[in-house]
Amino acid sequence: MGIFVLGYYGFLIIASVILAYVGWRKWFLMVFALTLVSFVLGIVGGAPALRFVAIFAIVLAVAAMVSFAFKEFLVQIVRPNIAKELRTAPLTASFGMFVIFTYAIGGIFAPLIAPYGQAEVIAGAFAPADSDMLLGADQLGRDVFSRIIYGARNTVGLALIATIGAFVLGALAGLLAAVKGGWFDTFMGRVADVIMSIPSLIFALLMLSILGTSSWVIVVVVAIIYSPRVFRLTRAVAGNIVVMDYIEAAKLRGEGDWYLIRREILPNSTAPLIAEFGLEFCFVFLLIAGLSFLGLGLQPPIADWGSMVRENATLISFGDITPLIPAAAIALLTVSVNFVVDWMLHRSSGLKEN
Amino acid sequence: MGDLAQLVLKRLGYGLLTLLVVSILIFFAVELLPGDVAEAVLGQGATPETVAAMREQLGLDRPAIIRYVEWLGGAVTGDFGISAVSGDPVMQVIGTRFVNTLFLAAYAAVIAVPFAIVLGIIVALLRNSVFDRVANVATLTSISSPEFFLGYILILFLAVKVPLFPAIASLSGDMSFFQLLERTFLPALTLVLVVTAHMMRMTRASIINLLASPYIEMARLKGVPPWKVIVRHALPNAWAPIINVVALNLAYLITGVVLVEVVFVYPGIGQALVDAVSKRDFPVVQAASLIFAGTFILLNLAADIGAILTNPRLRHPK
Repeated sequence: MGIFVLGYYGFLIIASVILAYVGWRKWFLMVFALTLVSFVLGIVGGAPALRFVAIFAIVLAVAAMVSFAFKEFLVQIVRPNIAKELRTAPLTASFGMFVIFTYAIGGIFAPLIAPYGQAEVIAGAFAPADSDMLLGADQLGRDVFSRIIYGARNTVGLALIATIGAFVLGALAGLLAAVKGGWFDTFMGRVADVIMSIPSLIFALLMLSILGTSSWVIVVVVAIIYSPRVFRLTRAVAGNIVVMDYIEAAKLRGEGDWYLIRREILPNSTAPLIAEFGLEFCFVFLLIAGLSFLGLGLQPPIADWGSMVRENATLISFGDITPLIPAAAIALLTVSVNFVVDWMLHRSSGLKEN
Repeated sequence: MGDLAQLVLKRLGYGLLTLLVVSILIFFAVELLPGDVAEAVLGQGATPETVAAMREQLGLDRPAIIRYVEWLGGAVTGDFGISAVSGDPVMQVIGTRFVNTLFLAAYAAVIAVPFAIVLGIIVALLRNSVFDRVANVATLTSISSPEFFLGYILILFLAVKVPLFPAIASLSGDMSFFQLLERTFLPALTLVLVVTAHMMRMTRASIINLLASPYIEMARLKGVPPWKVIVRHALPNAWAPIINVVALNLAYLITGVVLVEVVFVYPGIGQALVDAVSKRDFPVVQAASLIFAGTFILLNLAADIGAILTNPRLRHPK
């Protein structure tokens, strides 16, 4: 038994004794359960398994501390009424906000952060990592780290534009359908049904194979594919508002459709729409990542996370994790947005689930 | 029962109509091509003679409406015309591949469905506990990961670091059933991870929704033991949402399969679609899209009809 194994069990036992003494029952149960599981794990997997658990726990703890600090920081700098809401956010949500913040900084200041350009060839193919290249070089000898930073700008930017497109299209159609009603409402509903009855990835593949893969085509195609979701939600939310008395009053005043949408309906339906925006972004982002993985995203030499995974995938059979990093970047952003949306939905629905 | 049959028939008719509209969309989208299929497939270097010959071969010289009717008529009988690149019948290209894809999807579904439903119910019963929180974070992470991320992680750990399963799911005709299961284990497991997460969350939500209804509270208040509340009162009403969840996720499985097939080089219809897209082989793209869309619509229809058939209020109209 090495020093590490002794220290590992010593730490867990002392921690559980302290927690039991202080009376934090939930934490004590968790730590002591981990101790018991570790006994089994140590016998089966030996020191490497325990090391894996320790690293995992440390990463988790650091993430939790960073998220907690970030939440406290946000609480201090925003207005009091927002701060009150923010204080109730679970750690997962503040972790999500922290990650989104990091990605935003990375994307906006990409040329300043990245040591090399995204198309700059600086080394031999698949050169290993050194002090100059944090993550080594890709199949053409470009710096992987720089390309990941640029990917935050290109891939996320493209997904964001497509999401905004889908949102404007869907929300506008939904609001108009709710206000106008009649045949327009029915017609838009049917159009949404048809678009939703084709699997999104298949639809995107079909359209991009026909129209080519310039970034504008991607944006428009993806926006059209995902607008029906927004349409349905907006239609449902606005449909509940349209029957209110104050809408009737505004109509009797002689206000037009556009006024009704802008001044009466939109302000009363922002909460579900914001949450939907986050969800929609996740779908769009995963679709765009999938398309670029299949070679139908942004075209080379632009750095794009999905195609970076595909181009370097052969490295995986040698046990190298470089191709997984852009894929992990995609997953991390999506899960972060999902964490934040989860909290917002929970809050706005008032669900306590008891 | 007359009302019920009518309702189901109406749904069926509606599904058929949707399929028809989708087929129109898939067929006429290709007409958006600048030029036509022959020019697109052959590229710029083609001589006018070869283009004309291909037009002749694909029958492009006739009006689009007539070609559509012929295409649809052929599609119903399993004849999707000939591939623009290889000249083979499309059915020959994608026929066996479609069977392979169905096998992979069924393999994943057989593992995922019972697993997800049991876990979903457990999580719903233990809601707001530590277990529930952990399950929530784990399923959200799994849903948020692109399929290729999960696939490559599994390859890294279960095929490269610890060589338990093959990383590439190539099939050959003379493999036994167990060999087949072993070869396709990793792609199936990738699909299981994604679909289980979706299904668990949906099952949990619908069970929690159910447990909040007044008659469950009534049962609890009159002192029925907890397991009996679940078995006698909750489950009979839970079948409708659970069947709905299963059908919707199977529909999801059918499309998630495309990326997984590419990761594991699995000879399925998704891989064929992606290949055809890069070669601009439009007859194959159209056929594969129609098959995918048809399966998707069928499963959504099954979800609808399942929900109708298992809803006691619809089965016994007043």
